[in-house]
Amino acid sequence: MNADFTLLIPEFILAGAGFLVLLVDLLLPREQEHRRNAFTSATAVLGLAVTGVVAATTQMNTGESFHDGLLFIDRYSLLFKVLFVGIGIAVVVMSVDYVAEKMSHPGEYYALIIFAVLGATLMAESGELLTAFISIELLSFSLYVLVGLSRGDARTAEASTKYILLGAISTAIMLYGISQLFGVMGTTRFTEMGGLLAAAGDWDMTLISGFVMVLAGLGFKLSMAPFHMWAPDVYEGAPTPITALIATLSKAAAIALLLRFLAEVGSGAVHEWRMPLAVLAAATMVIGSLSALPQTNIKRLLAYSSIAQIGFVLVGIVPNTVIGANAVLLHVIGYAFTNLAAFTVVIIIELKLGKETIADFAGLSKRAPVLAMIMTGALFSLAGLPIFAGFLTKFYLFTSAVDKSLEWLVVVAVATSVISLYYYIRIVREMYITETEDESKLPVPALLGLLAWVLFAGTIAVGIYPAPFVDATNAAVTVLTPWVAL
Amino acid sequence: MPVDGYAVNWAAVVIAAAVGVAGMAVMLLGSFLLAPRRPSEAKAIAYESGIRPTPLAWTQFTVRYYIFAILFLIFSVEAVFLFPWALVFLETATYVFYAMIMFIAILLFGVAYAWRKGVLQWR
Repeated sequence: MNADFTLLIPEFILAGAGFLVLLVDLLLPREQEHRRNAFTSATAVLGLAVTGVVAATTQMNTGESFHDGLLFIDRYSLLFKVLFVGIGIAVVVMSVDYVAEKMSHPGEYYALIIFAVLGATLMAESGELLTAFISIELLSFSLYVLVGLSRGDARTAEASTKYILLGAISTAIMLYGISQLFGVMGTTRFTEMGGLLAAAGDWDMTLISGFVMVLAGLGFKLSMAPFHMWAPDVYEGAPTPITALIATLSKAAAIALLLRFLAEVGSGAVHEWRMPLAVLAAATMVIGSLSALPQTNIKRLLAYSSIAQIGFVLVGIVPNTVIGANAVLLHVIGYAFTNLAAFTVVIIIELKLGKETIADFAGLSKRAPVLAMIMTGALFSLAGLPIFAGFLTKFYLFTSAVDKSLEWLVVVAVATSVISLYYYIRIVREMYITETEDESKLPVPALLGLLAWVLFAGTIAVGIYPAPFVDATNAAVTVLTPWVAL
Repeated sequence: MPVDGYAVNWAAVVIAAAVGVAGMAVMLLGSFLLAPRRPSEAKAIAYESGIRPTPLAWTQFTVRYYIFAILFLIFSVEAVFLFPWALVFLETATYVFYAMIMFIAILLFGVAYAWRKGVLQWR
């Protein structure tokens, strides 16, 4: 048994950084709200950056399983570790002005973001159902608190209550599913389960219900239809940087876990779950796209758009092939850049205008041309137009589905992409065509403006020069063993 | 693969649950059909061992105790983990000792945090 704790050094650094942020918050006097905000956020960024650098420099060639497959420290988890740390840094940076203006308790806020990143990282690493479950809980609990942290707002209270109640139910369902799978197979390790499943003939009721319940629990985290109902309300009520965190970090972590789970456990029995998951993918895309059409609040619209995006990701998971997994990872990276860029612009608008409806974007091309351009780029990328990340990654996703003769799924995906173009273009129209009386320039905060530029550059980089990203996803995918044999 | 039998084991649970629900339904229905009904004011009072229930349930009471309950939880959880560890740690690997030290340190941090944030003051 391998109990080499040096493998977990990045995670230890991350956990330590979380406590350090709390400590900095404790040591600074309570009255100096702004100084506490600045120091704690700087500590958080530093801790996240050190974690990322240490992981990327020391674990490039690591391919170990910790404690007989409780955790896998390999290229797959490294890719997600770096991605999550990046998302964490972006969210902390976009929070600085927001927290200063709208919230108290900066120490708890940044520390919880770090713990959420830690939970997400462990989800991507876990190779066993109970470890995965505890990691999901670490991520979810941090998010529950973060969603409700700006107290005194009725919508926040609603969002936080809904999130925690529905989250608890989905957790219970998933745990029951895990207990059934353990009851049938006598193990919760992915690799052992995979062997047993491949050898099994027809699935009996217990096995099916256990599998369905585990997928339902993960589906809730992904906001996959029919478990998507919580997303719009939570997205709308949460502090906007936390909305960005939920839309990127928790989705990417759930995808990381789902992909590893299906690859290691389900590869031997693809025929059992491919069709049901394909139907859910189609339902998710259709529901997400159609429900986004009548939205007037930008955060609700982005919530439905993220539901649709999860549907697109599932199109790449359904084939269960190396190409599909590559496309999924690439799409997750591009989607993280794109969505974070869009949310950065939304935060700037919210801070400067105090509003968050689509109509508030009117005349933005005159008031803040750079912001309008970045928002347009992000929305085009979400819709899947060329030179931005979304076009390339969606192309890969759909190709992978055609390989396994799932043409009908691709037809649904393309159709919903076209529908989604309509509601993304609506925002662009507000920004460029709708006339407004107030044409005064909007001052763009330096830090947020810089962040928006960086994320925008990332969106374009994935779109026009994907080679380094594809190399990384390729190296990540090859560690998912069952496919190498296929 | 030990698939068979797992679902069969659950048959006992299902039967027990069905019998329980059915028994309860029969009892409630029986008393509903058979019992004579003569309501009076005295019967409607909640039973508190013969003592008149007063004051009304809709009075204010302080909720500040919840924070003490949470702090108490820190120590009780710590104790739950410390007892088995104290019994075996001489025979276990060295890292088990340091793991426990780390666990205690994290809980200590929690207490110090609560203290510094002014939770222990009764304001």
